[in-house]
Amino acid sequence: MSGLVSIEPSVPEPSGPSTSVELSEDFREFTDARTLAEIVRWSREVVSDPGYPTARAWGRSGRGAVGCFPVYTPQEIVHALGLLPVALHGGGENVEISHADAALGSFLCSISKSTLELALTHQLDAFRAVVFPYICDVSRNLEGIFSRLLPTVSTHMLHLPQNFTSAGSVPFLVAEYRRWVEKLEKVSGTRLTDDALRASIETFARQREALAELARLRMNEPWRIDLSEYYLVRRLGGLLPRELHTSLLGRVLEEVRGRQRKRRDAIRLLVVGPFCEQPTLDLINLLEEVGFYVVGDEFLMLHEWCERPPPDDDPLRALARAYVETPRDIGVRRAPSQKGTSIVERVRSAKAESVLFLTAKFCEPALEDVVLYRRGLEKEKIPYLHLEFEERSTAYEQTRLQLETFAESIFFE
Amino acid sequence: MSETVPRNTAPSPPRAAGEGSRGFLEEGRKLQRDLVEEYYRNLATAKERGQPVAYMLVGGNLTEIVRSFGYEVVFPEIIGLNCAIKHASLDNIVHAESMGYGLDVCGYVKNDIGLQDLGGSTPFGKVPRPDLLVCSFSGCYIYVKWWEALAESYGAPMTTFDVPYMRSDRPWREDVDYMVSQLWEFVHYLEKATDHSFDMDALRKVLAESRRAEEGWVKWLDAGRLRPSPIEAYFEAIFYMFPINVLRGTARAGDFYDVVNAEVERRVRDGTNPVPEEKFRVLVEGVPPYTHYRTFWDYFRRWGAVSVVATYPKVGGLFDRGFLHDPSRPFESIAEYSLGAYVNQSWEQRRRIIADYVDQYSADAVVIHGIKSCRSFTAGQGDLRDWLIHERNVPTLYVESDHEDPRYFSPAQMRNRLDAFFEALEQRRAAGSLAPGAGR
Repeated sequence: MSGLVSIEPSVPEPSGPSTSVELSEDFREFTDARTLAEIVRWSREVVSDPGYPTARAWGRSGRGAVGCFPVYTPQEIVHALGLLPVALHGGGENVEISHADAALGSFLCSISKSTLELALTHQLDAFRAVVFPYICDVSRNLEGIFSRLLPTVSTHMLHLPQNFTSAGSVPFLVAEYRRWVEKLEKVSGTRLTDDALRASIETFARQREALAELARLRMNEPWRIDLSEYYLVRRLGGLLPRELHTSLLGRVLEEVRGRQRKRRDAIRLLVVGPFCEQPTLDLINLLEEVGFYVVGDEFLMLHEWCERPPPDDDPLRALARAYVETPRDIGVRRAPSQKGTSIVERVRSAKAESVLFLTAKFCEPALEDVVLYRRGLEKEKIPYLHLEFEERSTAYEQTRLQLETFAESIFFE
Repeated sequence: MSETVPRNTAPSPPRAAGEGSRGFLEEGRKLQRDLVEEYYRNLATAKERGQPVAYMLVGGNLTEIVRSFGYEVVFPEIIGLNCAIKHASLDNIVHAESMGYGLDVCGYVKNDIGLQDLGGSTPFGKVPRPDLLVCSFSGCYIYVKWWEALAESYGAPMTTFDVPYMRSDRPWREDVDYMVSQLWEFVHYLEKATDHSFDMDALRKVLAESRRAEEGWVKWLDAGRLRPSPIEAYFEAIFYMFPINVLRGTARAGDFYDVVNAEVERRVRDGTNPVPEEKFRVLVEGVPPYTHYRTFWDYFRRWGAVSVVATYPKVGGLFDRGFLHDPSRPFESIAEYSLGAYVNQSWEQRRRIIADYVDQYSADAVVIHGIKSCRSFTAGQGDLRDWLIHERNVPTLYVESDHEDPRYFSPAQMRNRLDAFFEALEQRRAAGSLAPGAGR
């Protein structure tokens, strides 16, 4: 960090993707997958590839992909322009940070650094555009860094409003969406039409309904599908063409409903906090290994942010209303109600017995909510544990010990 | 730069060329102290006077409107920096951590919540509880989280003034319309809450006072363009920001800048500048390390480095870039002012502002002070450094500590970094590769 002399280039030379899951352009690997095991196996490969193979496969047919930083963007808009919206989730445990630290400084979350690292090492070359919603100051600022370092990629910082009672909020958000649409139209070379957007809204609504059905099944009978299976299937939902994912979900639901599995004596757990940066699969697996059933969570909130958009003559306004009117309580949006009340309601709704706050290191929105949530839980004597994680964490001895102790304290209460 | 250091171990800097002569503007500094004391006295007695209390944030604040309804206004960020500069923040921060706030939560938030939980007493006076929490969402995401926490703690109502992120040179019409609609809704809310009618003419008068103060403040800031600079645009500005951020809309704020600008004129006339021999003209970007503010300043002064321009004094508004209140367009200009909080500018805008400042103020170099607490200000400052060095050929140093938490300031390491930087600048100048005042 010395000030005067710097010999490294501001953007490294192209090195090409370092990993190699090459999907066919028509995603035959998934269309041909007949069992949950096959879907999960491919999903694991796709998720562990930091080069976003679904975006590459989509791009090989001449179509563009758009990277969407967590937590929420109206991906229907991207879809309606013939582009593939791809949910960005950082680099996971496989990415070494060597360039992004210098741009971002010391005290920032891993997902911001790994996402920038992927861009600087050309792992995001399949994307023609990237959108950063205003979910926190880091996401907001990332857009300005991307726009300088990757001048050929279209970028947009999407200002999602924080005033949900103003008559001006929906018109503002429609205007904000239109500004983004103008950029995406240039990227796609097509104009957004109301009919296309309505069709896309319907496509995403079908996907959400199927995902909601899977979530209900998981909540009511968690023994039927492992947490890692459930997680990977849902994560695919932000990576694959949505029509294909919805069709996969049909197969998954059918198989899972028919599974004969024994119910374990496990504690029902609500996981709160990992709405943006994602923990590793090892950590996700660990949650159930030590004696919990995760019956509600904030992983991959992309799919659960909004219900079906309300009926509206203007489909763009319908999307804006869906964002403004959702009652969703999440750390990256002004709380619609008291945090303490909200967490207790979520525990009751999921029929959970305990809460795990699993917050990413340096994720300030999540960290600040924990204090308020804890107060609500303490009033109701609902047990909780707070753990921090980083996406590159690989050693979990201490975490296992904490989780086991937490589980035992509930078992023997 | 994260090792823990004992508090208050930094050596006292040499007496400024003017604690008494040139380091501070004598009359202005004294007046500023008086205004601060008066402000805290008013806060402490607000409830006795039956005056309702509103909490507000500095960025994009609506102080003129709120004051017009009779509220006394508390700015917890100002309280926080005052606590830090008086070495009183750490106890509050540690207390907030004991309440569950993590190490990585903003120091302002922890100072405020810890302070309130400990009873609200500061070295300056007691801070009253809020009757209303006005969240101006301008430039900092944590504003929302902080205010949610206060709302739950106090049971006070919270209103949100959502300010869109600035991604263009001039405000977009749709953004201004959105904010104006929120301002009308806010005014109607205040009418119900206080049982007072809104008086637009009264607001215009207040805004005229705001504008007078803003013009005075801009005049003071502009003095940094002179060579040698008669002001310290970062280190002195820390004090002189108080009236523009806290007392804006009152005659006292405008009067204050009349006083300090008259003193600047005397300095120019008499040649009594903050740094007797100006060797380096520096642009400073970032929030000051308030807990070690004098120590940090001394690391500049010993090299004859003067801060001729800085971004931090613009957190309350980019008045020097034309975002002034305008009584003829009350709500529109309040909206535009709110958009103009420095950290509400996109990085593209921030880079443009800094490039302009380097040119306009003939800066030799840039020092960036990143702080652990504030992702809004800091995330991307490393990239800014890279841009300044490689694309603008401006010598730039990036250092890190914190503005509220003294545990993150390492005096020896900070001094080493700054010494090395200024020494290298000297060598470049000796070699002819750094023309005075031509950092580009």
